[in-house]
Amino acid sequence: MQAPKVSVIDYGMGNIWSVISALKYLGVETEFVSSPKKIEESKFLILPGVGSFSKGMRELKSRGIDQAIMAALQNNNAKILGICLGMQLMGSYGTENGRTAGLGLISNGVELFTQDELKVDKIPHVGFNSISFNEGKGLFDGLPKLADFYFTHSYRMLVESLECQYATCNHGIEFLCAFEMGNICGAQFHPEKSQTNGLIFLRNFLQKG
Amino acid sequence: MLKKRVIFTLLYDNGSFMLSRNFRLQKVGNLNWLKKNYNFSKIAFSIDELIILDVTRGNRDEKKFQKHIYSLTEECFVPIAAGGGIRTLEQAQNLLHSGSDKVVVNTLIYKNPQVIRKIAEEFGRQSVVATVDAKKNGDNYSVWIDNGTVELEINLEQWLNEISNLPIGEVYLNSMDRDGTGQGYELELLSSIPKSFPIPVILAGGAGKYKHLAEGLLDNRVDAVATANLFNFIGDGLQKARDFLREQEISLAAWNIKRATELSGFFTNKKANACQIKLTKNGE
Repeated sequence: MQAPKVSVIDYGMGNIWSVISALKYLGVETEFVSSPKKIEESKFLILPGVGSFSKGMRELKSRGIDQAIMAALQNNNAKILGICLGMQLMGSYGTENGRTAGLGLISNGVELFTQDELKVDKIPHVGFNSISFNEGKGLFDGLPKLADFYFTHSYRMLVESLECQYATCNHGIEFLCAFEMGNICGAQFHPEKSQTNGLIFLRNFLQKG
Repeated sequence: MLKKRVIFTLLYDNGSFMLSRNFRLQKVGNLNWLKKNYNFSKIAFSIDELIILDVTRGNRDEKKFQKHIYSLTEECFVPIAAGGGIRTLEQAQNLLHSGSDKVVVNTLIYKNPQVIRKIAEEFGRQSVVATVDAKKNGDNYSVWIDNGTVELEINLEQWLNEISNLPIGEVYLNSMDRDGTGQGYELELLSSIPKSFPIPVILAGGAGKYKHLAEGLLDNRVDAVATANLFNFIGDGLQKARDFLREQEISLAAWNIKRATELSGFFTNKKANACQIKLTKNGE
């Protein structure tokens, strides 16, 4: 099997070493990319990130990475995985520090967990939690039912009007924790910090299908 | 529902990993020893989180410590917290940019809480773990800083109350009396936790057997238990401990370790050297 080459997008948002380590473990060639040109030429893109939605979008735009991602998807048939903030940025908007438009790769928006939803649960939602997926194929191939993944976030995307393969997690409310829509994938959890389940998930992403 | 956690703590002293007993340190081996002889990657697949503390008593070589952290992330796919001697925002940033997800602070909380606020502002409160070192003192517990050498004029309950006003993600509550003894956690420490304390608690100090981990986790005031003893849960000891804990109906995250071995080097058909996991008994 030809080992895929993966470009991990470096835009100054959070710990990206762990993503690289997990990819290396799988035997994948990896590189950090930040130039739009390199991103446009990539076949596999990972958009990681921890932190604020508005700052994340600002960083992507000021570096021309938002356009480069679109170009890679449209012209190069690239596959992309957004992790944590990276997945949130794929949504249509975020509400942290006022409303900010996202990349709009999926139509859902990103909002803070509400007090009504949370009841006794706390934010941030930090730790291992179980996910449920609609079908055990694609991104979710080979994962146990109710697989455990590591989360750390305060904002969430709801499932509303999503027609694709997806998984949900419950923290006061059922929220969207992963999806696969053609070449566009996202994970609210951190597969690179979720032991075997995360490695299976990353492997699935890298198997073009 | 969030799972409870088993945390492994590595004590680092200028290139070596250490055993601690009542805060007295003993050298065990270097990074190479940890990876090759100790088979760290196997341990790493049996834990929910890793904490690496630089307990160097003399001058710290921070760059060297950061390199050690990065090297450990190569075979550890869980959240990593690192700390020891953090006094400035910049030191915290350096750790958070070399592979750790959280920083661990102790003396800084007392000496300069403003820096704690700055770290939380930049990285979020979930990235701050506060260790609290406590020692029995009559009917109460005293709190110590500076590697357990300086006693604060405040008891444990008062201290926990005070730090609950800071943006802290977790409290690592460590018994200095039980540290490294293997006699079990000092569960009495938990009665000093104020009512409706808003911060998750990691209980540390004294775990020697599976049942000690269970005793900690079965208490509803405890979110996670930690052990820093390199030899109490050697080989597949931690994995067996997890099985035991699950039998006690403690809610822990689950994954298949054998599958992880199969995934090593999946795309190259050859195992990544540093990450090899031996499932056979390994000199136990």
